Amino acid sequence: MTSTASTASNAALRRGAVHLMLAALSLLTLFPLLWMLSAAFTPNELITQRAFRLWPEEASLSNFRIAGEKHPIWWWLFNSVLTASAITLGKLAISLPAGYAFARLPFRGRRFLFGLVIATMSFPAVLAIIPTYIAVVKIQAFDTYSAMIVPSIPYIGFYVFYFRQAFRSLPDEMFEAARIDGCGIWKQFRDIAVPNVLPAIAALSVISFMGAWNIYLWGQLVLEDSARKTLTTGIAMFADVDGADTPWGPLMATSLLSVLPVLGLFLLAQRYIVQAFSSGTVEK
Amino acid sequence: MTRSFVAKLAPWLFVGPAVLSVVVFLYGPILASAGLSVVDWNLLSPQVDFVGLNNYRSLLANTDFQLSAWNTFLYCVILVPAQIVLPLLFAVMIHAVRGSRMERVYRGSLFLPTILAYSVAGVAWSRLLNPINGLFNEVLVFFGFGPSRWHTDPDLALLCVCLVTFWKSFGLNMLLWIAALANVPDTLREAARLDGAGPWRRFFSIELPLISPTAFFISVTTVFSVLDDIVGVVDVLTGGGPAGRSSNLLYFLWQQGLQFFQFGPASAVAMVSIAIVLAITCAQFWFGEKRVHYQ
Repeated sequence: MTSTASTASNAALRRGAVHLMLAALSLLTLFPLLWMLSAAFTPNELITQRAFRLWPEEASLSNFRIAGEKHPIWWWLFNSVLTASAITLGKLAISLPAGYAFARLPFRGRRFLFGLVIATMSFPAVLAIIPTYIAVVKIQAFDTYSAMIVPSIPYIGFYVFYFRQAFRSLPDEMFEAARIDGCGIWKQFRDIAVPNVLPAIAALSVISFMGAWNIYLWGQLVLEDSARKTLTTGIAMFADVDGADTPWGPLMATSLLSVLPVLGLFLLAQRYIVQAFSSGTVEK
Repeated sequence: MTRSFVAKLAPWLFVGPAVLSVVVFLYGPILASAGLSVVDWNLLSPQVDFVGLNNYRSLLANTDFQLSAWNTFLYCVILVPAQIVLPLLFAVMIHAVRGSRMERVYRGSLFLPTILAYSVAGVAWSRLLNPINGLFNEVLVFFGFGPSRWHTDPDLALLCVCLVTFWKSFGLNMLLWIAALANVPDTLREAARLDGAGPWRRFFSIELPLISPTAFFISVTTVFSVLDDIVGVVDVLTGGGPAGRSSNLLYFLWQQGLQFFQFGPASAVAMVSIAIVLAITCAQFWFGEKRVHYQ
């Protein structure tokens, strides 16, 4: 009796310790962001005063105003929304039908083509960058939205893989009835398959949007005019970050502006995102 | 007749756009890189000179290249084990408090940096690491240590990049581990417990073998993602410096090709990187496949 009681209290103690460690770990992980949040609302001239203060003494929105006077940050916001939406739509438009065909339509070379597409999952993006850049310059698409959007779409390995899994898990009977009714392949896809994988589509839309929102290197390269930049590439236009007189306030305010939309999406869709990232990837 | 023809054609129409786009935008450029790596050409010159393996030869003699290759090795040795083992540790802890109200909070907090842009991660950390008025130095000075130059110190730059890269990307592997642990049937844990196996024994004899497919998947993908993730962090935080001490192969490629417009040498770096990536993958499949236990 006593031994079970002591095991139980031991277990409770252990659980408490784990909670404590996880809480500390979470705070540590969030700290750079909290620190950014605090700076974004602290008037710039107070930021570098040498006193540690997480909560701004006099919160103000002045940093957003200053950043907006210096750089077209609201255009950057618009550009980020535009490019991220376009990239997401493009990815869905080509990876949904492909995932469907790889899952449910038999054809010659299916295994090979599937391998060809998903092998790109592990391509470091930098490897394709030089010829793509040359092509963009040659067709005079430099510094256009298309230059940002189009080459960012084909990174669809994971999407095709994931949609294939989703479509494969639909029961055959679902399609049998439609086939008997004379539904063609396109109608089966559009009216039966797609409406039944909406959670998967939602998850990958969010993941794609977040990824596209955060595109940095490629954007740095092909967007030059300040008014065409996205938030994440525009941030690099602020003064260098190692110096003594970095405009921390406006810089942090702009960074925060770029974090908030993806943070909101993440909080809304956390369950789906976690599911998408963790399911399917290990299936043999 | 037409109907069956359409039915035959349909799969191709479905996969066509996906296949074409990866061929044109991913495989095509890599082939083009192979071509660029054996010529001497830049965007302005009208003339393309075939130079054979000269670009590769001059790379081998280039000390910046050697340094970035060595750094790539260091990054892998430090970050790959860290990105595999620590997320597993965090996942085990989160698994231990599953069902509690805080589970989602911990998981969300630890995953959060993963959704940020590299530029934002770099900015967030640069204010901690800033050698003149950063928070870390204030803490050091407060405790009576001299200020450090952090990522602007040649000996610390690489470690600072490791720190920020780890912070930015450990969340994904953690999620994968959490999912794998959740898939281990509780009845097995319970059976082992009744047989007198302690927590450590249960972890190493029950859970670890059962999550080995995930371990294999993670070990393959982590090598790539580590190489790739670093490029963004390096660009924001150190620009490869000081004196190339925090550069890696892919960042060297980026600089050579797109800051100095040395397409030939940069493409040669791309080819070398692809060869390394392929070799590592093959090695992993060779050693890994046999040891993985599929349910």
